[in-house]
Amino acid sequence: MEININTQGNETVATLIGRLDTLEAQKMTGQFDKLAEKAGGTVILDCPQLEYISSSGLRLFLTLRKAATTKGGKVIVRGLSSDVRNVFMITGFLNLFEIQ
Amino acid sequence: MRTKSPHTDELLAQYRSLLPVYEKMAELIPERLKDFFAEAGIIVAAVEHRVKTESSLAGKLQLKGDKYQSIYDITDLVGIRVITFYNDDVDKVASVLERLFEIDWENSIDKRKVHEIDSFGYLSLHYICRIPESAYTHPEHPELNQIRFEVQMRTVLQHAWANMNHDTGYKSGVEIPRTYKRNLSRLAGILELVDDEFSRIRLELADYRRQVQNLVASGNLSEVQLDGDSFKSYLQIGPFDALMRQIAAINQAEIQPVDLSNFLPLFTEMGFQTLGDIDKLISDYAEAAYQIACFQIGLTDIDILSTSVAPQNLCTAYILKKGGGSFGLKWMLDTLNGPSEVNKEMAELLIEQTKDLPFLNQ
Repeated sequence: MEININTQGNETVATLIGRLDTLEAQKMTGQFDKLAEKAGGTVILDCPQLEYISSSGLRLFLTLRKAATTKGGKVIVRGLSSDVRNVFMITGFLNLFEIQ
Repeated sequence: MRTKSPHTDELLAQYRSLLPVYEKMAELIPERLKDFFAEAGIIVAAVEHRVKTESSLAGKLQLKGDKYQSIYDITDLVGIRVITFYNDDVDKVASVLERLFEIDWENSIDKRKVHEIDSFGYLSLHYICRIPESAYTHPEHPELNQIRFEVQMRTVLQHAWANMNHDTGYKSGVEIPRTYKRNLSRLAGILELVDDEFSRIRLELADYRRQVQNLVASGNLSEVQLDGDSFKSYLQIGPFDALMRQIAAINQAEIQPVDLSNFLPLFTEMGFQTLGDIDKLISDYAEAAYQIACFQIGLTDIDILSTSVAPQNLCTAYILKKGGGSFGLKWMLDTLNGPSEVNKEMAELLIEQTKDLPFLNQ
């Protein structure tokens, strides 16, 4: 699993590549903490190359959303694959994010 | 600035020496007031402040300087203005002031009550206040507790009228023709009516909300019209909680509470008119919603779900059972999550996931 973070002004784009399973979610906590620091602006999670997301991965997304709510920013989830979008739908997470 | 009167010069000198205290008061008092309004749940449109300028004071003293023995006799050097949205909030603001400050009742005036029954005009409540030593003292500025200041309280509409009247009225130096004065008075009458209407509507709305809450609490849901207020009250009793707990138990999942108010447009579009219709949806389709969840998450290791799963599955089951098909499901997803072509793909996936479930074949 890999996350590439690129900040320009008030906008941060994080490109997620690979499988965000339970083990990888633990490893990515630090990266998501960095994203949470930017959550006062707009954080875009760019997901076309995100192949799988586990509940632990969803929790990382959720924590980031909470940080954005607290700081007055927003999280946009972009380019979900069909499989990952299905996970968002059946868990009710589609309602939680701005999906593009 | 020197004037022809030694007494006026003396008062202006006193004013200059106290000016930093006036400015401090004009800055601090509104901040303190805003905190107290927030605590009391009073929403105000604005809290303004000003310190009378030296030239304005000189003008005032020129006209009636003999009236004042010392600068402490002038009560409007520091002026605060609280502008409310509703006229009954003016009295609430006044009660906050009565708790916070010593009120000089002799010099305070309720201009809302000075008009004859057949005249209309300036409506505002003016309090002359002093900061009591029990509330606040400053060792370097003991005079702070001696200085009186004026607080004007009025509604947004009264404020608008007062500003218009000020521009065209007594301070303009030009005598205004009777016709314009009469027009301003007529306007004051209209605004007084509008203020009363705003307050009446707020009161009726509060009554309506209480009635809805009582009906929801007593379970008479079919008597409650479905709207923003009633739906909010309904959500407070957790109508989807039991189904949500049942669904979460499939995988012993954590339930993540989310705001469900975005379901209101969907329920409305589905033709539901009362809370009773939603209650019937739950009783008629809970089993089907549970079947959908079992199929979707039963064979996964997902252990976190948002509370929107229960109403989403209820609506899915309802639409499918009514023959809405993938078109109906796409419409549901568009309504809930915003229009998107991807929702078509999701709708078809939902059709695939549910096609063999028992509820569709009963």
